[in-house]
Amino acid sequence: MKARSADFWSGLALGGLGAYIIAVASRWEYMGQDGPGPGFFPLWYGIGMAALSLMLMVSSVTDKSGSTIDWSGARSAFVAWAAFSAMVATLPLVGFVIGFAALTLFIVLVMYRKPLKVAATTAVALSAGFYLIFPLALGVKLP
Amino acid sequence: MKKHFLCAVLLASSTAFAQGFTPTRPLELVVHTGPGGGSDVLARAMVVMLEKEKLLPVRAQVTNKPGGGGVVAAAYLAEKKGETHTLGIFTGVWLTNPLTSNEAKVSLKDLTPIARLLLEPAVIAVKADAPYKTLGDFVNAAKQKPGELKQSGGSITSRDNVVRQQLQKATGTRWQFISFPGGGERIAALLGGHVNMMVIEPNEAGEHIRAGNMRVLAQVNETRLSAFPNVPTLKEAGFNVTPVPQVRGVVAPPGIPRENVAYWEGVFKKLSQTESWKKYVTDNQFEDAYQNAAELAKFYEEFSNQMRGILQEAGVKTVR
Amino acid sequence: MDVLSGLMQGFGVALQPLNLLWCFVGVVLGTVIGVMPGLGPPATIAMLLPLTFLMNPASAIIMLAGIYYGAKYGGSTTSILLNVPGESASVATCIDGYEMAKKGRAGAALGIAAIASFIAGTVGVLGLMLIAPPLARVSLAFSSPEYFALMALGLAMVVLLGGDSMVKALLATLVGLWLAGIGTDLFSQTSRFTFGRMELLSGIDFVVVAIGVFAIGEVLANMHERGGATAIAAPKGLRNLLPTMQDMKDSRFAFVNGSVIGFLIGVLPGAGSTIASFISYGVEKAVSKHPEKFGHGAVEGVAAPEGANNSETGGALVPMLTLGIPGSGTTAVLLAALVLWGFKPGPLFISENPAMFWGLVASMYIGNVMLLILNLPLVPLFAQVLRAPVYVLYPLILGISVVGVYSTSGSLFDVWLLAGFGLLGYLMRKLDFPSAPLILGLVLGGAMERALRQSLMMSDGHLSILVSRPVSAVMLSLALLILLIPLFGKVNAWRLKALK
Repeated sequence: MKARSADFWSGLALGGLGAYIIAVASRWEYMGQDGPGPGFFPLWYGIGMAALSLMLMVSSVTDKSGSTIDWSGARSAFVAWAAFSAMVATLPLVGFVIGFAALTLFIVLVMYRKPLKVAATTAVALSAGFYLIFPLALGVKLP
Repeated sequence: MKKHFLCAVLLASSTAFAQGFTPTRPLELVVHTGPGGGSDVLARAMVVMLEKEKLLPVRAQVTNKPGGGGVVAAAYLAEKKGETHTLGIFTGVWLTNPLTSNEAKVSLKDLTPIARLLLEPAVIAVKADAPYKTLGDFVNAAKQKPGELKQSGGSITSRDNVVRQQLQKATGTRWQFISFPGGGERIAALLGGHVNMMVIEPNEAGEHIRAGNMRVLAQVNETRLSAFPNVPTLKEAGFNVTPVPQVRGVVAPPGIPRENVAYWEGVFKKLSQTESWKKYVTDNQFEDAYQNAAELAKFYEEFSNQMRGILQEAGVKTVR
Repeated sequence: MDVLSGLMQGFGVALQPLNLLWCFVGVVLGTVIGVMPGLGPPATIAMLLPLTFLMNPASAIIMLAGIYYGAKYGGSTTSILLNVPGESASVATCIDGYEMAKKGRAGAALGIAAIASFIAGTVGVLGLMLIAPPLARVSLAFSSPEYFALMALGLAMVVLLGGDSMVKALLATLVGLWLAGIGTDLFSQTSRFTFGRMELLSGIDFVVVAIGVFAIGEVLANMHERGGATAIAAPKGLRNLLPTMQDMKDSRFAFVNGSVIGFLIGVLPGAGSTIASFISYGVEKAVSKHPEKFGHGAVEGVAAPEGANNSETGGALVPMLTLGIPGSGTTAVLLAALVLWGFKPGPLFISENPAMFWGLVASMYIGNVMLLILNLPLVPLFAQVLRAPVYVLYPLILGISVVGVYSTSGSLFDVWLLAGFGLLGYLMRKLDFPSAPLILGLVLGGAMERALRQSLMMSDGHLSILVSRPVSAVMLSLALLILLIPLFGKVNAWRLKALK
């Protein structure tokens, strides 16, 4: 059995979203006394979404060329995203300057495997830059 | 030396008792619109006036907290419990949101009232070439074609629709209400002939009336505005409707000390008596409606109950 | 007052040294703000209002207007260099602009953007000057059915932005529509898809989605590639530092297209520069002889939207000055400023304040020239930014994105949304879903739904209103035609295959 291609999964996911939208939208008023209600539009695009997702899933199964994704690099991307999210989570605690410096350090060190010195200088330089330009020169608040 | 010290201590403690609270940092005025919106404009004008009349020893600045039609700003104030240098400019929506929206958890009852400042009257306007010369004409036309005439306005909880609900109930007629997100679009809809009538603030309508594009049929107010001496009020035109006011005032976060409340009350009372304020009110065709903190608290109750009734009759789902 | 004498009076006002200075201050400030993602003209103008009380109103409006159109010039900079839209109107510029930068032609892209902005900006002012009052009256005839048709036309452009898979492009658009619908429904005040979160009550800010999907998505996608420490190709040689004659020739139509479409859409209250730039982009691609180049660094793909978002400023000033109706967020603040200074904007404003109107118009010509002179020499300088190694650039992009988003709303929730949309952007890239349709759906979704419901309310539920009115019927037919184009292509290909 051929492995399902990526399109199939994305089709499934979007189909799920479509179904959810339809379910929620059908609880709202479809057509009110004066005109279409809040459920009108969502219902239609929910249906559209579900239908198109189905098409996508079908075409992914019937299409012989089925592209597979190179997931080896995905790990790096997810790690980077996790680091970014971690920074966002710590923003209320340590503020932007420190959080950003840490993130930069992490990225340069881990993602690009540069020596610590390079990572540290970059982190410090960029954070300092942000601090100088935004709150000091422009009066824009940093998180 | 000791004598001086004693004097200083006595002086300090006596001033501490006498004055109560004085601001030491800039005052933050929270508004629920973005820059250029109704409350924002009012707040910025207030900042200018407070400075001109030297009513504050510190600066005042405007913080925009738009979102949810007032919900975000109200929640922001509620979070700043005990904060003595923050105030919010509220309007009627801060009162009606909690009635209709589950997410609007903060009502004005959760905040500290300071003062009611303004009532905004409205006028009922039609396009200048419309066949209606009086409100009666419009209502009669609506009677003959129920549900066909159209009014442009804001959301269904806005004052525009409230006036419509009241008039419909009082006259037994029905006409459509079409929501537009911005005042500009509502006016464009009227001037373009796509709707028949709108409820509009007099300062917004003023220029169009002067240019001859709009005609005013009636005023939504208890008494006639000075700018419209020849236009009947709703009651005078024969419609037994109590105008629900569009209100603006000042609130503070919960949990602030009494001297703080008294201080702010004093500042805004003085503001409402200054010449610049009076000029602002007349220029913008508002109505001065100062109420102090206690009166404002009572007003919340009455207004909320009144609105709840009206909304329910209009078929809007109320959650509180 | 006839145009020539008005203009003379206007230049008399605008060329005063003090006003020249304020104009300069305004356009420089505007450019800087445009470059910063997030911080935009409405907030800046509001912040400067107290300062304006110390100036005379004519100087003040000249400066504030300078900020307004200056920001449109600056917005293209980060879009092209970093794939971070400087403001919502610059998203369309990211599509081809960033591709050009990746190919080492950042300088050309920036230069063309500046030139297109200048040409279109000037055309916009011309339009404002010559046909403002009659155009305003015509724009009043535009009502909900026409708006709906316009939005539908804009969405049909999805077909042209779509890339290879129509199904995926349409799906992306629908997701965009869904995102647009999150929030409080205007008509019934029901909360939709807010999951009980107060921050979602007024919907998701477009800037958050755009920056998340484009900028952060791009960074994550590159982490995936891990192409070592190679920098994005920095422009080498003069050919790539500035647009070439060939570029200018290729963009000929784009200049016209951007100017006209931007201006006309700007005149409509409620339709803004984002829609203008996308429609201009779509039209440019539709009439191009080599549409497959779009999305991969076509210079016209930068010229058209950039021009459109500049002439839109001229257009948006039309309803503001002739009717007192704001055409966009920034014009709303400008109107508020006028009111605060004691003016009464409305139909009589121009005739009663000719010095101010003509002074403003004249200053806009001058301002556009100033901006061109300022921006062109800076282009090679900005392009050098790309010389920085990736491991500097990418954290920089992440940082700017966070600061930009936070500066608009001050809400940490929005930064979380940013992270979420960054992930979405990455996934979309990997799974081959085009992101431009998503953005388009988001931008148009809200207005489209409103216009449709308003139209149906006006017609008591009859859909026929959309085709019984001439203008909307024409636009809807166009939209339908556009949607059918790829179908023709497919049918043709199928026929050819069958014939073989």
